Amino acid sequence: MNQFNKYILVLFVFFIMTSCRKEIPEINRPEDYVEGNFSEVFDAYWNGMNNNYVFWDIDTTNWDRVYKQYKPLFAKLNLADSIDVRTGYTYFKEMTSGLIDSHYDLSFNDSWLADSSSINPAYQRKLAKPDYHDPISVLHFYYTLPDNYLDEGWKRGFVNVGNSQYVAVAGTIDQHTLYFYFNSFNLKSLYEADGDNAVKTVEQYFFDMINNTPDIKGIILDVRGNGGGALADLNFLLGRMIDKRLDFGFTRSKQGNGRLDYSPWTPAFVTPQDSARNITAPIVMLADAWSVSMSEITTMAVKSLPNGHFVGERTWGGNGPLTANKFYNGGQFSTGFINQTYTSSLMFKYRDGKIYEGIGFPPDIEVKYDEAALEVGTDPQLEAALKLTQ
Amino acid sequence: MNCKLFTFAILFCCNFIALKTQAQLEVGISGGYNKNYLYTSTGYRAFTKYDAVSGFELGVPIQYHFNEWLAIQAEPSYIQKNYEQNRSHFFEGVYQKNTNSYIQLPLMAHFSFGGKQLRGFLNIGGYGAYWASGKVKGAVANVFDNGPEIPDDQDIDEYFQLNQPHHYNEKYTFDSRRDRRLELGLMAGIGIEYAILNKYRLFVEGRYYYSLSDQQKNYMINQIPRYNDTYGVRIGCLFNIKNIFRKQETQTLIKD
Repeated sequence: MNQFNKYILVLFVFFIMTSCRKEIPEINRPEDYVEGNFSEVFDAYWNGMNNNYVFWDIDTTNWDRVYKQYKPLFAKLNLADSIDVRTGYTYFKEMTSGLIDSHYDLSFNDSWLADSSSINPAYQRKLAKPDYHDPISVLHFYYTLPDNYLDEGWKRGFVNVGNSQYVAVAGTIDQHTLYFYFNSFNLKSLYEADGDNAVKTVEQYFFDMINNTPDIKGIILDVRGNGGGALADLNFLLGRMIDKRLDFGFTRSKQGNGRLDYSPWTPAFVTPQDSARNITAPIVMLADAWSVSMSEITTMAVKSLPNGHFVGERTWGGNGPLTANKFYNGGQFSTGFINQTYTSSLMFKYRDGKIYEGIGFPPDIEVKYDEAALEVGTDPQLEAALKLTQ
Repeated sequence: MNCKLFTFAILFCCNFIALKTQAQLEVGISGGYNKNYLYTSTGYRAFTKYDAVSGFELGVPIQYHFNEWLAIQAEPSYIQKNYEQNRSHFFEGVYQKNTNSYIQLPLMAHFSFGGKQLRGFLNIGGYGAYWASGKVKGAVANVFDNGPEIPDDQDIDEYFQLNQPHHYNEKYTFDSRRDRRLELGLMAGIGIEYAILNKYRLFVEGRYYYSLSDQQKNYMINQIPRYNDTYGVRIGCLFNIKNIFRKQETQTLIKD
């Protein structure tokens, strides 16, 4: 009987041990939190970031420390008090100040924050740099540059769509160097839009020049001050200048709720278009500290060409593509309090194995912003690019 | 030199075990098929779930009998604990299959009951396993690889029409910040065994491994744990060391 009792005890211990697993925490959609107080506001946002932010692998922000430090602080705030709401805004600014994602932008629904700008950590860091400068005025590209540098016959135009204005300028320099400036990546959409628009006319001119200029000495793509836009423009634009697939990097997405759960790396490439002409002359990207996202991706792609160059300044440093959260199970989300947490869906790695998020892509020929030169109508960055095409 | 020393040590141990353990020790081989379920949660991830995936296992059972109905058993094994993440509806076709190889050592009490030849048995114990390697195979939509243009008047049925799939099949890269490679757990098995000439015992067993170790280290607040639950069916054969040696002794006597 004693023996029997021992075995019963063994079985009992066995079944007790089966309850030794950790409990699975309840993870809720950030949008579903009912934000009647600041504790809920904090939990919705903190957990949304915990599960959706795509850069935890390389970000130096200690998100657990943020939880321990700010959860009690938010718990003391009153959502019905405008001063506390302002304090909450300051906490959000502090919590996000080190986030590496340079697309990152936090905007709020609360009416007491209607006059507050959205929180953009990369912009705050940029402002604090000693070499900070404002973007080059679009008027330089629209008026000064064509007058001073382009051959006769250049084209320029703009179109307003919703709240956005799209500007493009194209022409030749010394007859055999093609120049194309555009302030945003919406080229394919505008080109395929029904009816005529001024940007479409400029695009058509530039594409005709690519196809019909017999002795191209170089192509300059000017994305200075270009804030990015549609990824579809990569094939639409660069795909016209190559005759075989151009691999230039990799992307990966979240693949689980854990901060370090990632998919394998997927190749990033440009696909040649049917009407492509293989350009062997130098293709020069002109980019600066205000070249963001698709501008940086396009610059990296061009830099991967044997005839590719990059002149200008280190770029902004926000190169992870964005799409809706459901597509890659990560990235952007909203809460009741936060209108939008604008953040990348994918992490981008250049073909050299480095991730330039938060750092910016460096030029191979650095030419700093020169306000004095621009004021008198000269463009040292463009002139440096021209040296590569002559 | 090292090889010779190792061989000698093995032979010495076998001889020592054979002499000392007499009828109590049985050694064999086993193999089987299993299905591993990942006990976890996908949270609110859109159209995403984890599915069980089959695998196989191979082992070397070693049983030491205290009496007719009780033994302890150790079974150094190779075992796969596989699972798959699948997306559905519009995202159909996006998946990742994880094939995970473990070197495992279950240690159990072996209770048997029944007749002389045909007996039933119950195994209960625990195991330690080392996550030795992994492989991931799957497909994701490549944001840089657009599908053919979709006419304005055409429906879009699946994600891969918008972005072409990138298929991959590669070695799993362990992340020392996240992956916990040592797994401890409980196991239970039930089966039947059939003795042949007091030398061999064939057995069939259904077995369940219940992991108590999260596959991940505790590296984040509100971490969703992942545990392996592995169900398997295995067959094998145990060899009675004493009876094999006894026959050899008899043959030696006849020669003398």
